[in-house]
Amino acid sequence: MASYNTNEFRSGLKLMIDGDPCSILENEVVKPGKGQAFNRVKIRNLKTGRVVERTYKSGESVEAADVMDTELQYLYNDGEQWHFMHPETFEQMAADKTAVGDANLWLKEQDMCTVTLWNGNPLAVMPPNFVVLTVTDTDPGLKGDTSGGGGKPATLETGAVVQVPLFIAIGEALKVDTRTGKYVSRAKD
Amino acid sequence: MIKHWQASASFDLIKLRADTLRKIRSFFDNNNVLEVDTPTLSCSTVPDPFIESFRTQYFPLTQTMQTDNYYLHTSPEFPMKRLLASGSGSIYQISKVFRQGESGRKHNPEFTLLEWYREGWDHHQLMEEVSSLLNSLLSPYIDLTEPDFITYEEAFKKILNFNPHTISRSDLLDYVNNAGLSNVLNHDEHRDRFLELLFSHVIEPRLGVKSDDNGNIRPNICLLYNYPASQASLAKTALYHGQLVAERFEVFINGMEIGNGFHELNDAREQRNRFTADNCSRKQMGIKQIPMDENFLQAVASLPECAGVAIGIERLLMVMSQSDHINDVLAFPFERA
Repeated sequence: MASYNTNEFRSGLKLMIDGDPCSILENEVVKPGKGQAFNRVKIRNLKTGRVVERTYKSGESVEAADVMDTELQYLYNDGEQWHFMHPETFEQMAADKTAVGDANLWLKEQDMCTVTLWNGNPLAVMPPNFVVLTVTDTDPGLKGDTSGGGGKPATLETGAVVQVPLFIAIGEALKVDTRTGKYVSRAKD
Repeated sequence: MIKHWQASASFDLIKLRADTLRKIRSFFDNNNVLEVDTPTLSCSTVPDPFIESFRTQYFPLTQTMQTDNYYLHTSPEFPMKRLLASGSGSIYQISKVFRQGESGRKHNPEFTLLEWYREGWDHHQLMEEVSSLLNSLLSPYIDLTEPDFITYEEAFKKILNFNPHTISRSDLLDYVNNAGLSNVLNHDEHRDRFLELLFSHVIEPRLGVKSDDNGNIRPNICLLYNYPASQASLAKTALYHGQLVAERFEVFINGMEIGNGFHELNDAREQRNRFTADNCSRKQMGIKQIPMDENFLQAVASLPECAGVAIGIERLLMVMSQSDHINDVLAFPFERA
């Protein structure tokens, strides 16, 4: 079983903590001039997303988590699971609701996503930073208003709701930043 | 984008280091404390089980056979005490020191120590001088409030509400669990390890910061003294309100340890016993034992009454410049050395 010594701790390292795969966000060496040294780490539980602090006695080893990020293409949702495909091996994989989480608001068929695998199974899904989605519902556009001042909600094809300028109409394709959930521009094609 | 070959510290901070060292030299010059220079490479080193020295070998030019081990010093303490025992009077030194494995936000394996000894003084007199030197160095850069002089016991009572000298082992373990630090240490470890755990996680972050008369939180110089006798290291022990304590102190600013000082032990037999105990702990921990520094142990018998302290220059520069990482104050930190 692979493990890491505290002296190998660095941000991004994946560890098994209390049976869950976790990622180190920060590692701080707490070493008094005289006395026992400790490693104080801030970790994100990759299953729950929760951030917690842990302390280890320096020199201890902690079990490694078999976690890796892969780029997969999103195919479709069958109502229960989201299906992805590796673009070269064509291997398919299904992720459940917990793994997909809020990413479902931004998943558009054929877009490439970062899927985090734990022991070969999808653990978390990260949509691309920018996605292009079509407006399915919004109040009628105000003719001539291109100022962008003010705004209104618009529902997108995935069900996500974003604030858009008043001039946006149903059927238009918009570029959205998935990290902030904010409208960026009209899509240029 | 800064490239790997370039300096990590800004030139403002490189200049701040030069200015600070100049002020320190002038402070000691004005107070008739002699600047000295002692070896960095030595045939022995400190046996403290929680300090690891860099180890190397010496080869005579005509031989390829390895001879004895040599060590890079972790502090110039032993040879400086040999100078004091030889009759030097009060002395100071600014030197590069080396500690194996210590790397992080507040640690670089090679760093700069200001170490000085005051002949005829005890730790209380030296704490006053530390406070006044640090105040004069820091006050042009940061807005300090009044210094604190508190005992180790008072800090535990104030922050955790128990007496660290008398608390029972099972109560101590309860406090450790309540602080969310269960499972960090094995239950059979020495009580000092649990005190160190609570100290570094709960107490230290709150030392060297306090609210001023207007209720604003400001940094201050905190001198913490009278440690448990079992953490005496190279300090004398004495009875204080009926409790045997180590006449040792540490300096904290903004929740960070800046230095460590002792009312220096000058009982050669006691010093040898402590080194032997350190080597025993090393053996139990499965780490290499350190040969006794016989030159030092002989000198301890002639050591005059004195107090000494070591201050980390990089930590001091971090406080002055409000830097978050030690790499901000080093021209070429370990990763670029």
